[in-house]
Amino acid sequence: MLSLWLGAYDQGLAYASLALGTYLTLRVLNFADLTVDGSFALGGGTAAVLITQGVPIPLALLAALVLGSLAGMVTALIHTKLGVNDLFAGILTTTGLYTVTLRLMGRSNIPITDLNPVVNWPDFGQGDDGRWALALTLVMLGIIGLISLVLATDFGLALRAIGNNPTMARANAIPQGLGLTLGIAAANALVALAGAMVAMYQGFADVTMGIGSLILGLGMVIIGESVLRPRSVAKALLAVVVGAILFRLLIAVALQLGLEPVDLKLTTAVLLLVAMSLGHLKLPGVNAHSHAGEDEAPTTPQEAVESGEKAVAGGPATPGGQP
Amino acid sequence: MSLQVEKLCWGHPVPGGGRRELFRNFDFSSANGEFTVVIGSNGSGKSTFLNLLAGTLRSDSGSIRLDDQPLQRLADHRRARRIGRVMQNPLEGTCPGLTIAENLRLAEGRRRSVIGWYGLRGIHPNRSDRRRYRELLELLGLPLADRIDTLVGQLSGGQRQTISLVMATLGNPQLLLLDEHTAALDPKAEAMVMALTDRLVHQLGTTTLMVTHSLSQALRYGDRLMMLHEGQLLGDWNAQQRQHLTPDALREMYGAARVRQTD
Repeated sequence: MLSLWLGAYDQGLAYASLALGTYLTLRVLNFADLTVDGSFALGGGTAAVLITQGVPIPLALLAALVLGSLAGMVTALIHTKLGVNDLFAGILTTTGLYTVTLRLMGRSNIPITDLNPVVNWPDFGQGDDGRWALALTLVMLGIIGLISLVLATDFGLALRAIGNNPTMARANAIPQGLGLTLGIAAANALVALAGAMVAMYQGFADVTMGIGSLILGLGMVIIGESVLRPRSVAKALLAVVVGAILFRLLIAVALQLGLEPVDLKLTTAVLLLVAMSLGHLKLPGVNAHSHAGEDEAPTTPQEAVESGEKAVAGGPATPGGQP
Repeated sequence: MSLQVEKLCWGHPVPGGGRRELFRNFDFSSANGEFTVVIGSNGSGKSTFLNLLAGTLRSDSGSIRLDDQPLQRLADHRRARRIGRVMQNPLEGTCPGLTIAENLRLAEGRRRSVIGWYGLRGIHPNRSDRRRYRELLELLGLPLADRIDTLVGQLSGGQRQTISLVMATLGNPQLLLLDEHTAALDPKAEAMVMALTDRLVHQLGTTTLMVTHSLSQALRYGDRLMMLHEGQLLGDWNAQQRQHLTPDALREMYGAARVRQTD
């Protein structure tokens, strides 16, 4: 039984940087980025190809990060330079990435079962799952720390301003095109890293592994936010990772209760719908309602953000407070 | 910085192509540190003029220069570095999801390239930034000094507009544009924001243009009063000449029916 929970914990952490990437685009930049479906598979495929060819794992992960960021950059440039709507820009890139990933992999599925990157780590008596748990926990703590630091600088503040109020960002001389490009590139780098880690953990990469990644990431973000109600950026990042773990636990429980793997996507969609309607959270273009014009002062950061959204085109933004 | 506008042309895009001209060869100049109040009926081109100066609208032809430096060739963010703006809607000038200190930090950093390596140097707003902002708000006599870690979205409209105004004047702008920035406020908040406006503009000596529909504001504040009508200058008075004007005389000039009575 413990191995079931530990396995879900590991999977949650492997997927956590997908959730962090989704958080960066949707919550910080207020940009609905569908590139993640493509960059997740791109990261997995890149890692699988390189690892099976004997490239050291850190280099393979770095390559996934770089290619993921390039994918994000393409979407951002299509949006900022050519004026294409955010959703269409992401769909265009994702469609193109399917071919890129398939070309890169040479076939639709690459197994990497004969390699265990954490074989020499302490296992706490839990075998490979214990080793993975330790390695992934350390990696995710490092990533959360790094993103928290970046978001607490002037750079991060500017990115948060772009997502929170583009009119204000423009008036305060923040180059929005550059900010969006770097932010979306960073988010997709994280997503590709998640793809690589998931491929390594599950022992194979598949060209279709990215389908539904955005919804998966979104579900993790929403569950984390609903459970922990974070009031600062650092806590929000932690909440997102906790959300990823809880999400995988829910899936593990569903599987344990007899759910067939083939029904997973539908279950995921239903879980997300339940989380969205219960948490009554606003998402870009989804169950949005305007608070503009209400006079009473909001009492929570979420309400505060929502009440100021007349200029923000109906999307939520970063939690405020000090990072 | 002095502002020179020469032969400015701009027209509204109309359905089916073409443009309906509003400004045709419009000339305007303002001396360094001059505080000009702009009035006129709806559609007279007041806000459009400010948007053309700020660069949120692109002129069809003509030149806009600050101390002989042309503004129109600058990229949007480079132009915005020189211009402080306060907009009519208190929600537009600030980030509701960020704290007062964070908003002030963004405004203070307007002259720096924050999207880049420079922006990654250090955590901000740090303790010393916060102390500086607290002192600034205290110096300005604002009761927000002890609330700098409050989310701006939790403030009232008047308080948000006060923060917008302080933000617009941070980072030494060369031109300050105030677009009906008290129109959405109640009389008490309006008086507070106008008193602060007058004080900041004169203390900083920034060349300022303020658009208003309030005739009492027009007759009370600024060094110069200008009236626009359909993109043309209908009147231009210095402070001395303005003393002889009355609200009724102004109403008569552009038609009482078209004046939104706010006094």
